[in-house]
Amino acid sequence: MSTTAISLDEVLKTRGIVVPDVADPQDYKIPEPKESTQRLMEIYYRLKVTADMEAPYWYNRIWWENEGDVPVIRRAKAMAACLSHITPTILPYEKLVMGKAKNVRGAFPFPWVCASFFNAQANALMNEVDAPAESEADSVSVVGSGGGNVTKSYGNVISIAKKFGVRKEEIPVLVKTAKPWDGCSIEDVSAVYSAYTPEYPQEQRIMDAVICMFDSWAIPQGREVINYYMPLEYGFDRILELCDEKIAQVMGEAGTDGVLGMARGYYYIAMKEITKGLSAWCDNHARQAEYLASVETDPAFKANYQEIAKVMHNVAHKKPASFREALQITLCCHLGVVNEDPQSGLSIGRLGQVLQPYYEKEITDGTATDEDIIELLELYRIKITCIECFASAGVSGGVLSGNTFNNLSMGGQTYNGLTAVTPLEYLIIEAGMRNRTPQPTLSVLYDEKTPEDFLMKAASCTKLGLGYPAWMNNQTGMNFMLRNYAPEGMNLEDARAWCLGGCLESAPGCFQPLHYNGKVTMIPGGASPTCGTGVHFIALPKVLELVLTNGLDKRTGKQVYPPHDRKLETYEEMVDQWQKYLEVTIDVVNKVNNIQMDVWRVKNPPVVNSMLKPDCFQKGADIGMMGSRYNATINYESCGTITYINALASIKRNVYDEKRFTLAEMTDGMVNNFGFEPAYKTGVFSPDSRTSTADSPRYDKLFAACVNAPKYGNADNYVDSLLKAYEEYMFGCTRRFNSYYGKPLYMCQISVSTHGPQGFVTLASADGRLAGTTYSDGSLSAAAGTDKNGIYAIFESATVYDQSMEQNSQMNLKLHPTAVRGLNGTRKLLDIVRAYMRKGGFHVQFNVVDSKDLRKAQAKPESYRDLMVRVAGFTQYWCEIGKPIQDEVIYRTEYDA
Amino acid sequence: MRHIDCKNYINLDCEKGLCALDKAMVPIDGEGSEGCGRFTAAEKCGRCTHFSEPDKHGIGTCRGMAKVNWAYATMNAVTCTAFKA
Repeated sequence: MSTTAISLDEVLKTRGIVVPDVADPQDYKIPEPKESTQRLMEIYYRLKVTADMEAPYWYNRIWWENEGDVPVIRRAKAMAACLSHITPTILPYEKLVMGKAKNVRGAFPFPWVCASFFNAQANALMNEVDAPAESEADSVSVVGSGGGNVTKSYGNVISIAKKFGVRKEEIPVLVKTAKPWDGCSIEDVSAVYSAYTPEYPQEQRIMDAVICMFDSWAIPQGREVINYYMPLEYGFDRILELCDEKIAQVMGEAGTDGVLGMARGYYYIAMKEITKGLSAWCDNHARQAEYLASVETDPAFKANYQEIAKVMHNVAHKKPASFREALQITLCCHLGVVNEDPQSGLSIGRLGQVLQPYYEKEITDGTATDEDIIELLELYRIKITCIECFASAGVSGGVLSGNTFNNLSMGGQTYNGLTAVTPLEYLIIEAGMRNRTPQPTLSVLYDEKTPEDFLMKAASCTKLGLGYPAWMNNQTGMNFMLRNYAPEGMNLEDARAWCLGGCLESAPGCFQPLHYNGKVTMIPGGASPTCGTGVHFIALPKVLELVLTNGLDKRTGKQVYPPHDRKLETYEEMVDQWQKYLEVTIDVVNKVNNIQMDVWRVKNPPVVNSMLKPDCFQKGADIGMMGSRYNATINYESCGTITYINALASIKRNVYDEKRFTLAEMTDGMVNNFGFEPAYKTGVFSPDSRTSTADSPRYDKLFAACVNAPKYGNADNYVDSLLKAYEEYMFGCTRRFNSYYGKPLYMCQISVSTHGPQGFVTLASADGRLAGTTYSDGSLSAAAGTDKNGIYAIFESATVYDQSMEQNSQMNLKLHPTAVRGLNGTRKLLDIVRAYMRKGGFHVQFNVVDSKDLRKAQAKPESYRDLMVRVAGFTQYWCEIGKPIQDEVIYRTEYDA
Repeated sequence: MRHIDCKNYINLDCEKGLCALDKAMVPIDGEGSEGCGRFTAAEKCGRCTHFSEPDKHGIGTCRGMAKVNWAYATMNAVTCTAFKA
């Protein structure tokens, strides 16, 4: 493969020869989605992302009515009221029901976490309410751009965070609900106490410069793997009995723990409250289904509603007795957790292994066919795709690109060390091929024990261009688990239970014995709190820029870091200063984040999640109180790794080794964008777009030297050795800082979408990247357009260090569809994956798309409503992604046949 | 008598819903938002006897539960154990 070769198809096409689609008649012909799926997707594509005030109203009401109660119990009562008062929405054709809120792509604000925006904007919001309505025509016909995003207000709909539509009549409710939280939300309280840290002003300068992307309180849960064991093994009624038994055992007893021993009783009372709330939420759906059945005249619809009523009544009380009930109760618990905090990255985990016993029974008993199961799994994809996260515009758009990263992992190993692939996992892939939705994204835990036909099935899905499944190295993941969690007692069996939390956050798990169908099956699930809520996305190239500018942000004129006043006479001295600034950054941001998360766990202890996560129920301690089995989970996240490494290589080569330019000349070129217009002026964020100015000729030689400097991804040791040195330094660096759990940090190397906004605030860099354009994506993707030696050269560059040192690495590759066409193409794709995994690479994912199609979609998004691309750990609808990231994806090097 | 106030209205988003009876999308505002002859009033706080004194934005007082509190007229009450038409 090469970037310049012309495919046979292209040659024939230019000569007017049409190649019929006979590339491989054996290639799998994918059936259409089921009718229920098609009808519901037709609705989905027409939906607006909507926030409403029903759930916050009830949370608020019960919270304040219980003022003075023990915090964890007060919180559980409020959450239970929130869930049990959500209007049950059941659509025709649905078989799985429940959603985050009453609207299908619904969400709601969490003023108890963040109220400042609503309180600061209260007058402006109320003015919008009192303003005369637009014409009726406008009110019913204006459609916001960007798929379902409501990017501006219209008619009786107010846009919030450039994403959520809120009904005008609910704005006064929002304002009234937010008001009592003024000064006592997590955001406000943590700001008060963060200010006590001596370095707080420095932290604020770093946040203002967007060197760090966002605060921890913004999304305090997620980037972890949920655990469905409790409701599957016991059902809600039995959990209530277990709570009573525990209360009887521990109430008034501290045991030997004088600090937390007494709190166990409160924990179990709280668990009882939240379990009642979850049960009532299910019962509400049963009653709504009964009502719909009562007014329905079509026998098929009526029967479907009656079945929903039966399923929902059962799961409200008993442990599941069928595959459908089991899937439904996992969905209920998943939604329950994502509703207790603004949240992204609550991963589903290894669902195909968790639910295999239920699937096996259905097939053995003849009570369901594979096609019945596939239909449920197709419908499940819609449910998960509808999960939205209500956060600020910066977090929703700039970080998450509207995705909530509910990752479903497959493969890996069982408790006994055998391949964990189940027959159900083949159907999960099949459902993902038939019903192509962004969520749940799929991940394969590649292991040498994984069956070849499963790998081929997964590869045949990847090549469809959906961005999933992504591929992760199971052995590398297990090695990281043992390295990081052995001090907390992790053994080999638990290491085998790991999988992806969020898009790419390796998360610890454990196996638990599920009793079902006369058998005991060890099922995996998450066993930790968030594996992501630490230092959020440090812009490595920006820090380097500030080293060269003596701590002064030339874009804003603000002094971000204290001037170092060093002459930077050697490369080593420059890197040393970069490390000093970085360590200052991690130190101050980590301290503030620790306070934010400590305030969160004290004021807003997670209750639904703390009912589910091992070993909270055994210990009688919630997640905030370290009830989870593993707690060394808090990370430091980086952004722009390869842009930074390439910039180092350029400076090293051009300034220090060959002395072609002085460091001052290099800095001058960067500050002046090598004589080009910056992207924030041109509005084009692609690195290949350059608009000259009168100054351009002055920087010609320097710019050429920067562009031609060694680049990562070409198996060039000059630059790859810098990556190795960086990774080895970071391993020691991050572990010098402790989280609020008193455990060392580690490094998470994903960019999500932050390489867009953080690139935006960064001047030109020494690798030839221009001001305002995106950084390289992920951590091991080559900078767009700079990988010239083929895919295997990237693999050489990426594996110069041990990737099991850290939580993850991330590599995105873009393939032209012709490169993987037919059965041979599937094999070729699998060979690529296998080659990287065998070299110790942790992660690789693919966009299989023609860049020409992306350009067309950018020009005419309304014609490409269902087009999806892989960004950096997640798949998203093209039309719901911001332009900088679109430009970056288009410009990624495309490998063709 | 708007679709959105009907018991057979199924919530979709901030601008429309679905009629449970004929499975068609119905708008919340403007043309076509009026309910039909099969209209059945949905449970909403504004229809509850425990709800009183709404202000111009529909925010009033709820006396249906153990503690008196505020509520708003357009809120669905299908899940409220105290709802009384």
